[in-house]
Amino acid sequence: MSADHTRDPCPVVILSDFGGAFAMGVIGGCVWHGIKGFRNSPMGERHLGAVSAIKARAPVVGGNFGVWGGLFSTFDCAVKAVRKREDPWNAIIAGLFTGGSLAVRGGWRHTRNSAIMCGCLLGVMEGVGLMFQRYAAWQAKPMAPPLPEPQPAQPLRA
Amino acid sequence: MSWLFGGRKSETSNASSAAEEPFLNDSESQKSLGFDPSQVTNVSSIISTPGALDVSRLHPLAGLERGVEYLDLEEEKLSTMEGSRSLIPSRGWTDDLCYGTGAVYLVGLGLGGSYGFFEGLRNIPPNSPGKLQLNTVLNHITRRGPFIGNNAGVLALTYNLINSSIDGLRGKHDAANSVVAGALTGAIFKSSKGLKPMGYASGMMAAAAAGWCGLKSFVL
Repeated sequence: MSADHTRDPCPVVILSDFGGAFAMGVIGGCVWHGIKGFRNSPMGERHLGAVSAIKARAPVVGGNFGVWGGLFSTFDCAVKAVRKREDPWNAIIAGLFTGGSLAVRGGWRHTRNSAIMCGCLLGVMEGVGLMFQRYAAWQAKPMAPPLPEPQPAQPLRA
Repeated sequence: MSWLFGGRKSETSNASSAAEEPFLNDSESQKSLGFDPSQVTNVSSIISTPGALDVSRLHPLAGLERGVEYLDLEEEKLSTMEGSRSLIPSRGWTDDLCYGTGAVYLVGLGLGGSYGFFEGLRNIPPNSPGKLQLNTVLNHITRRGPFIGNNAGVLALTYNLINSSIDGLRGKHDAANSVVAGALTGAIFKSSKGLKPMGYASGMMAAAAAGWCGLKSFVL
């Protein structure tokens, strides 16, 4: 199994994940709330509506994404440090903790349900990732080179 | 379209003249083929040529004394742009963007959160039970922290995008780049509020960018 060389080692990768998730959320929120504000505004004020919707909502979406990604990365690193191994269970456990800690102010039942939901979501994502990995490995499996066609013996000339 | 104007005529004539007399210049053909064709007569002479079948060069791990070249992975290379060295080693604009935005967002979140914490402590209703006190403090933290964090994060995101674009256009990075990127960021951030707030925000962001450059040059 090859290591992922595009990601940094654990303590600093949390910062990068915070920023990456935040950037993703802000850019996605710009598109989403831009379209939503444009459609929900009356004719003649559509561009103004789009801009004000982006200004009001896109940073919030970015913040939600960023907090989720950063917390997940933090828990992922913590779980890695405790378990001292890397497998799909890391992400699932980190997802459980993330979902739980984000919902902790809603009471015990809300925390539990949110944690289970988040863990299941991460489990599905990890499963799909494993499937893709298997598929890529199956596609790139070593093949025997085709044997050359047996040539009929040429009659000797001259 | 060079074939219309005959731009390649000289090249083709050169190539054809070289093809017509391939073996006239011995040293040239030796350079291109790697051996002297006039000396090769049969297979055994090729095999017995010194250096052709050297065991130490054919081994799969040959050439290790030059260093482990196959470990020089492409995607792990650090950015080679002039003046792009920062506090954390960076592989390019995506790293700058992620680390810059994440760090500024976290700092904003922490500052806003601590401000909200003290504000909440001051605003605790008198003679309230512990649960209400905790709730008051948490409400103030979650009101102040994410607001400041989000705005700081958006500023950092815009700044990093503009900065990396200017870097890419100019091919190098220096303090003037950062200041210009900061000024543009402030102007864009307040662009819907009118000219005067735009000017203020622009100046503040340019000053912040200049301060960051100074800090970076001081630390590095």
